[in-house]
Amino acid sequence: MEKLNLLWIQGLTCGGNTQSLLCAEETLLNTFLKKVNLLVHPGLSLDEDLEKTVEAVLKGDVRLDILAVEGAVRERGKGLYTVLDMRFDEVLRKLCGVANYVIAVGNCAAYGNIPALKEGSVKGLQFRFTERGGFLGDGFRSKSGLPVINLTGCPVHPEWFISTVLQIASGRPPKLDSLGRPKEFYTYFTHDGCLRNQYYEWRVEAEVLGRKEGCLFYRFGCRGPMTRSSCNRILWNGVSSKTRSGQPCFGCTEFDFPRENIWETKYNMGIPAELPPGVSLRGYIMMSGVAKTFTPDRLRRRLLDEDD
Amino acid sequence: MRMTRDLLTRLEGEVELKVFWSDGRIKDAYVVVPTYRGFENILKGRPILDALVITPRVCGICGHAHLRATVEAIEDAYRRAGRRVGITRKAEILRDVTTSLEIVQNHIRWFYLYFMPELVKLKPELKERFGPFTGSRWKEGIEASNYATKAIALIAGQWPHNSYMVPGGVTCDPMEADIRKVEALVNRVISFFEEKVVGMDWRSYLKLRGSNLLSKVIGDLGTFAEVCLENGLDIAGRSYGRFLTGGSIHPCISSGVKSKRTCEFNLSKVSELDTHSFLSRNGKGYSWSKTARYRGLPFETGPLARQIISKNPRITSLYRKFKDSVLVRVWARVDEILILSLAILEKLRRVDLSEESWVDPGVDPKKFSGKGVGVVEAARGTLIHKVRVERGRIAYYDIITPTVWNLGPRDDRYLGVVEKAMIGLTSRKIAHIVLRSFDVCSVCTSH
Ligand code: SF4
Repeated sequence: MEKLNLLWIQGLTCGGNTQSLLCAEETLLNTFLKKVNLLVHPGLSLDEDLEKTVEAVLKGDVRLDILAVEGAVRERGKGLYTVLDMRFDEVLRKLCGVANYVIAVGNCAAYGNIPALKEGSVKGLQFRFTERGGFLGDGFRSKSGLPVINLTGCPVHPEWFISTVLQIASGRPPKLDSLGRPKEFYTYFTHDGCLRNQYYEWRVEAEVLGRKEGCLFYRFGCRGPMTRSSCNRILWNGVSSKTRSGQPCFGCTEFDFPRENIWETKYNMGIPAELPPGVSLRGYIMMSGVAKTFTPDRLRRRLLDEDD
Repeated sequence: MRMTRDLLTRLEGEVELKVFWSDGRIKDAYVVVPTYRGFENILKGRPILDALVITPRVCGICGHAHLRATVEAIEDAYRRAGRRVGITRKAEILRDVTTSLEIVQNHIRWFYLYFMPELVKLKPELKERFGPFTGSRWKEGIEASNYATKAIALIAGQWPHNSYMVPGGVTCDPMEADIRKVEALVNRVISFFEEKVVGMDWRSYLKLRGSNLLSKVIGDLGTFAEVCLENGLDIAGRSYGRFLTGGSIHPCISSGVKSKRTCEFNLSKVSELDTHSFLSRNGKGYSWSKTARYRGLPFETGPLARQIISKNPRITSLYRKFKDSVLVRVWARVDEILILSLAILEKLRRVDLSEESWVDPGVDPKKFSGKGVGVVEAARGTLIHKVRVERGRIAYYDIITPTVWNLGPRDDRYLGVVEKAMIGLTSRKIAHIVLRSFDVCSVCTSH
């Protein structure tokens, strides 16, 4: 089978998704490099390749199967580089027009993220935070007929990206949710697979940071139960995740990232102001009562101090 | 006068190099950072602890250093307001270890992915080893860098972009098994350094000085040195020869400032200008970066500065002969891969996991007002964060990244550090290599 041509381009970004990609497990990264013809990646290719490749693609000399966009877009403004004497946003629009698939790699490209917080003209490809439209418009479809594939996360996990590309390469493009994210990676919640699940269920809150014990939902603002991600299923760097190392989930795969007051849980009359999807207030109160009454004693002790 | 303009990629972000030539030599050079995001403004008005999640996103390759600078700035503010912020020895060690690991990771990726591919242009037969995507070392370099990133993740949850350092300590609570794994990974970095980078065991390498380094070191660093000597990169790349290191990482990096003599680093002598930045809107601007000065003068920061100030015997012996040329600047960076790795192992031997990871600083961040500064060493040099908080919200945030020191524009009297290093060069290829020898990160520079 012919290799897929992939072109990676960067807008307003920290480059973290590129660094994350390089952290992919060796087998995956090698498979990716074998199956895909990386036409150009500005973080990795020789300088001169960027303009050469973009020119060839825009002329139609080279087929563009996948356009991977890292970073947000600033419309019509200064403050981004030029390619072939065209403003970045102009080049990007043209490339999106000829690409078979367009992938937004990371939250900046998907939703605008941090660079968009205070600048209305900075956008993600098809969204600006919760607003639909973004840089390309709600109706945009790439040549394959799909909208922008949003691989969200700040940064995106390398495996989510590589697997999505490999799925396209094998002729089975991913099924997307209503926010353009491949369902396979954004069906689970960060909460699923977190080692603190028992503490969550029995309402044992972490009262301090820096411990293996306790759930971070009740005090430290963990967004795990309402954030769609595979962070605790497909571990980071192959070994861990935020909640496994004692950080609350910050919800960085969602379109409202970064929210205000990241490290704290808001309460209304003793009940967390936001409950996980599908959990009713009544259900929550009843479950809490039961859980608190019957909490197994061992969940109140330090793990390594357990004697049994 | 002839003018050339090049867009350089394969670094963190992108920069434009605008050069004026006369008689085949560079007469003047402008380093242009064309992109900005505006982090300082984005932070304004936000709850103070949100900065722990936002500032790492300044940079995809040194975000961990930004996190540490934020944490230290907040802790400094708490302390100045009379709070006791007690950090346990354990938390201190873990912070040092992951910060150092990020530098190690950076140096490996920089050398193999960003820098060596450029030398292929001078010596095409190196392509098999160092060419992007296909070169054997290109892949091995990624693999080796990931011993370090995986080790960070074992402690900090993930890399890039975690927020595991918080005022009062760290959020993690690792087990002995995790620490042993981190050690094993760091040992793999050291083996890689021995086998591929210098081609000898590390103890022998550490004993070498001056010309012996050039004649005895084989491996990829040896190849690099060879290309340098063949192409005048033992001379090209010299700038002001003034060095600055604000932070420290025991025992391999001590802070200090060196022009003729070495003195203590004094934060109050640091100033920031925007006379030639687009930010000032005075018409003279040509970059989104500001300009950083110490006692009003330009200073170079980064591994070369650190290792000269810290009196690394290998680097000082090379510096005596070759000054701040590409050869020595790159060597200093590569040398840090080893010495930081050794220091990490030493620290891990002393860590006592039964200590607390976090000690509540007892501050209500919602009511807190005060100001503080964090000065840390990032991969590319000294990183400074300054914060002022009013009733829990950020009233002012200022970031001076290492690359502002090196890549920032000129002022009315002095060229920027990199710009100065360009003057007199005779080829575009060499100019690009000189620029790259500073380890360019434009996303940090303009932030
Ligand atoms: S810490 Fe967060 S992800 Fe883990 S169980 Fe609690 S709520 Fe769920």
